[in-house]
Amino acid sequence: MIALERLGKVTSTDLLIIGGGISGLAAGMAARETHPDVEVLIVEKNVSGWAGQANRGAGVLMFLGPDDDVDKFIKFHCHHIGAFLEDQELLADFARGTLAAIERFDSWSGRLCRRGDGSLIARRFKPILPWHITGADLDMLVPVRLKAGRAGIKFMDKVTLTDLLKDGDRVVGALGFSLLDGTCHIIKAKATIIATGGDSMKIMNMWSCQRGEGAAAAYRAGAQLRNCEFAPMMEMLNVRSKQAILGAEDVMYNAKGDFLSGWRTECDADCDAFAGIVWHREMLAGNGPITTKNPENRLLQSTIKHAENLEGKDSEDRWVRPFHEKFWGALMRKTVEADGGRKPVSEVIPGIVGEHSPVRVDHNMKTTLDGLYAIGNACYVGSSMVGAVPTPGRIRGSGLTGAIWMGIRGGESAARYAADVAMAEPDAPQTEACKAATFAPIGRSAGVHPTEVVHAVHKAYHPVGYSLHKSKERMEEALGMVLEVKRSLPQMAAPDWHYLSACNEARSMVLTAEVFYRTSLARTESRGWHIREDYPERDDTGWLKWISIRDKDGEPEITTEDIPITRYPVKPGGE
Amino acid sequence: MNEIKIRLEECSGCKSCYNACFVDVFRWDKQTKRPIVAYPEDCAECNMCEVTCPKECITVIVDWDKYYPPLFPESVGNLPGRPPAGKAAVK
Repeated sequence: MIALERLGKVTSTDLLIIGGGISGLAAGMAARETHPDVEVLIVEKNVSGWAGQANRGAGVLMFLGPDDDVDKFIKFHCHHIGAFLEDQELLADFARGTLAAIERFDSWSGRLCRRGDGSLIARRFKPILPWHITGADLDMLVPVRLKAGRAGIKFMDKVTLTDLLKDGDRVVGALGFSLLDGTCHIIKAKATIIATGGDSMKIMNMWSCQRGEGAAAAYRAGAQLRNCEFAPMMEMLNVRSKQAILGAEDVMYNAKGDFLSGWRTECDADCDAFAGIVWHREMLAGNGPITTKNPENRLLQSTIKHAENLEGKDSEDRWVRPFHEKFWGALMRKTVEADGGRKPVSEVIPGIVGEHSPVRVDHNMKTTLDGLYAIGNACYVGSSMVGAVPTPGRIRGSGLTGAIWMGIRGGESAARYAADVAMAEPDAPQTEACKAATFAPIGRSAGVHPTEVVHAVHKAYHPVGYSLHKSKERMEEALGMVLEVKRSLPQMAAPDWHYLSACNEARSMVLTAEVFYRTSLARTESRGWHIREDYPERDDTGWLKWISIRDKDGEPEITTEDIPITRYPVKPGGE
Repeated sequence: MNEIKIRLEECSGCKSCYNACFVDVFRWDKQTKRPIVAYPEDCAECNMCEVTCPKECITVIVDWDKYYPPLFPESVGNLPGRPPAGKAAVK
C-alpha cells in the first residue's frame, strides 16, 4: 500500500474550505463561531482576502428588510425571474435570512454603508422591486481575512486543489499543488466545502477568476450537477473596452435607427438574455451595428452620478466607499480614454459572462456526496434557489448576499458534520491516480498549450447562436466541437506550475461546456435564460422539472425530477 | 497583451500588488523583495495592483485590441457592422 506521505505533503484539518473569497471566508467564520473546536483550513489559489469576484464588482448587496414582504418577493421572483423552477422553500429561507446574514458579515468586515446612527443606507434598485440594496466598500474581505486569522482559521495561499479524495463514497479531503513551487499537497479533512466560485470561462475580465474547477472536481468525484442549462449570464458591453454598460439593454437601436428595447418593462429587474438575442437577430438581418444612446440610459446616468459623487453629495444617505471610488475611478478613466472620450452613442455587443454554478446542494448546502458541501457561485443554480437564471439571477446584489448567506449556512452545516465524524484515510490508489492526472502536463516537453484549449472552447461557446440563442442543430455542432477539444486534453503540456494550474482550469472549462450543451439539448422548451429557437414556448405541462447530470462509469448520466410545485405557494398562471 | 509597469526604484516591497492580483500575474522575488510581472498575458486589467499600491508606482497599460472570443461561428461570414475580431495570442 502506498503511503500518502510518499505522494505529497500531507496536512489534516477538520474542515477544509477550497476557495478564500467571500463565501469561503463567511463559511470559515460561521463554522468557528458555532463550533469553536472545529479546525478550519482555507486553501486559496491566489491570496485569500483579495481573491474571487466580490472585491471587483459593484459592491452591492440585496436584502429584504422589515418592511419587505417575503411572500410578495417569492411571487415576483417566480413570475419575473426564475420562471417557476425555484426551490421556493429554499428561496424563502434565503429571503428571510438576507438581512441577518449581511449584518453578521459586517460584524467581521465593517464595510457596509451606514448612517451616523448605525442604520444601513438602503434603497430599492427600482421602485417596483420588492427588495432593498445596500453598498459595501470593495476592500471588504481584507478585514475578514485578518479577523479569520485571529479566530484561529488557518490559510494556505497560492495552492490550487484539483481533485477531491474519497474513502468509499465519502469525500475526505483534496489534492493539489503549489503554484509557486509545485509541491503536491494532500489535505485530509472530515468535511470539505467547495467555495471556488462558478465558471465564467475566462471571458469577461472582471469575472475571469472563476474557472469551474470546483464543479469539475465534484463531478469527477461523482457528485450531481443541476440546472447546468441555465447559463450563460450576459451583459451588453462597450465594443471597444468590453466593459458592461449598465442599462444598455433598455435603450438599444439598430443602424436604421429602430428602437430595439420595446420589450423591456419596469419588472425587468436587470439584464436579460433576450437583449443578446435581439442583437443577434438584428446583426444576422444586416441591421448592425447595434448601439445604445447613453444620455437616454437612466440607469447609466444615475450610476455615473453616483460614481462621481454628483448624486446626493451632501446627503447622509450617500454610500461613502473610498476604495470603491478609487477602483472604479481608475477603470472608468481608462475605458473612457479608450473610447476617445465620453460619447453619446456607444456600439454594444453581448458579453457572454458564463457564470455557470451547477453543483447540486440541498438546503444545508450539502452535495450529493457525504462529506462534501458547496457554497456561493459554485452552487448558485445547482441549489435551485433562483430557478431558471444564471448567477446572479437578475437581482443586482444577490451575488454577494447569496454568497454570504450560503457561506454561513454551509459553514455551519459542514462544521456540525465535521464535529460528529472521525477522520478517514483517503483511498491511496485513487489519490495516486489523481496526482498522476493532475501533474501529467508538466512532464510533457511538447503538446497542446492550455490557452489553445481555452480558445478552442470559446469558439464553441461564445458565439451567441450557440450558447444564448439555442437550437438543436447549432448545439449539436457546438457540442461536437467541445468533444473534439476534450480529446486533445491528454496532450496538454504545461511549461510551469502557473500553466499546470491553467491546464486544470482548461479541462474544467471543457467539462462546463459539455454539461451545458448536453443538458440544454435535453430541455426541449424555452424558460428563463434557456432560450431555444426550435422550442420557443415555455412548457409548464412537461418541463416543471430539474435536470441533473453526473458521471457514471465515465459517461454523463442525465436525470430529471418533477419540481414539487403542488407543495409550493406560487404556481404558474395568473401572470 | 496588457503591460504592467513598475517603477521599482519607488517600490517599498510591501507586497500589496502580489497579494491583490486575483489571476496570478505576479511572482515575488525573495532576494530583492520586489514583485516580478511573471504572467502579464493573464492580466485582466482590474487595476487592483495599481490602486492598492501605496507608493503609486504601478501602471497597468491596457491593450484594448487583445484577444476576445468570436461572437459568431466561423461558418457565418462577415456581417455589416460586425465587430472586428480581436487578436489571438498564445504564449
